[in-house]
Amino acid sequence: MRVALAEDGALFRQGLVMLLEAAGHEVVACEPGGDELLRALADQPVDVAVLDIRMPPEPDGGLVTAERLRASHPDTGLLFLSHYAESHYLVRILEIGTEAIGYRLKEKVGSVDVLSDTLTRIADGEIVIEPVLARRLVEKPRNDRANVVASLSERERDVLKLMAEGRANGAIAGELYVSGKAVEKHIASIFDKLGLHADATESNRRVLAVLTYLRSQRGEG
Amino acid sequence: MTTADDATDATDATAGRERRRDHWQRRRRLERRLHDGAALRISSLALRLGVLDAPREQIDALQGEVADALDELRAVAAGIYPPLLHEAGLGPALLERVRATGADVALDVADDRCGPAAEGAAYFALVEVLTGSPGPLAVGAHRDGTELVVRIGGADPALAAVVRDEAAPLGGTVEAGPDTIVARFPCG
Repeated sequence: MRVALAEDGALFRQGLVMLLEAAGHEVVACEPGGDELLRALADQPVDVAVLDIRMPPEPDGGLVTAERLRASHPDTGLLFLSHYAESHYLVRILEIGTEAIGYRLKEKVGSVDVLSDTLTRIADGEIVIEPVLARRLVEKPRNDRANVVASLSERERDVLKLMAEGRANGAIAGELYVSGKAVEKHIASIFDKLGLHADATESNRRVLAVLTYLRSQRGEG
Repeated sequence: MTTADDATDATDATAGRERRRDHWQRRRRLERRLHDGAALRISSLALRLGVLDAPREQIDALQGEVADALDELRAVAAGIYPPLLHEAGLGPALLERVRATGADVALDVADDRCGPAAEGAAYFALVEVLTGSPGPLAVGAHRDGTELVVRIGGADPALAAVVRDEAAPLGGTVEAGPDTIVARFPCG
């Protein structure tokens, strides 16, 4: 696929280009900052743009650049790579978009298979979240106050965790050794308990479920 | 005590606070150096390993080592000056910490920014309090003029001492009641 990247660390930028090319992807643009990337992509579309979060324009140029890219190239997938996996940035990323978007640790995309799988899922419209972050968010309910996720059963929480990683129903069923029908029932129950009803699309409701969880912890839910 | 001595004491106190503010600035810059230097270099290594022509298990094992090293660096950086504290402020940094540790705390922190010294001192004082309290705690913080005011409800009053250790060197104050600790950290 056609990929562009922006990252201010030259060594990491070179490593990423090597890996992308080894995986058979075409690196259309490779820039040290967000503004340069936007200029480079003005007249040539890519499938996915890979962005460092902490890069120029400072302080979090990756987010600003992503917002502008989403506005000008809504079909381009966005993959954020960072040295940190933090819920604060996940919330901001999901505010930019809840489709064709991903957030992963820099060192966790270090194989051709993982990098290609991540890019393919994003290009297919999925959301991909660093598993350690998804787990941290769902497995440690903070307290009962303002935490709607506490009302979920253990199994529903397992399902929500896998949804937060962007897995499809079939993959969730496989992971939990249950039927697809059972997964659908759990998801319907999660949507119901979190107060997410029919008007949103299925894929948006999945992400809204994760966001509701995050916001409940921020005291906004 | 003579007037001249008083003046000297006041100058000493001001110089001490100045040094303490510098201390926090230095910590913030150290974290940034870790991120831009060692951490980025080691992350690049993970990618370079990924294109080596070697058995998959060997590469996986080496990349696992690299990821562990980065986890350790992140833990060190968090103990020096959490990047989120600098980038987003006290509220988001505390929330991230609470989420990561599962501490039983209700947070009510305003978005006001107060500079790296006040924010750093308040953050690390609160981390100590959270570590030393079974909870539940209620933590509020907001800017009041030139001060960052932090109110901790539900903590053992004995923990006021660890809060004072961070606040006093900056010229801040701490008051402890039976159930509430109130600390004021000078901004700037």
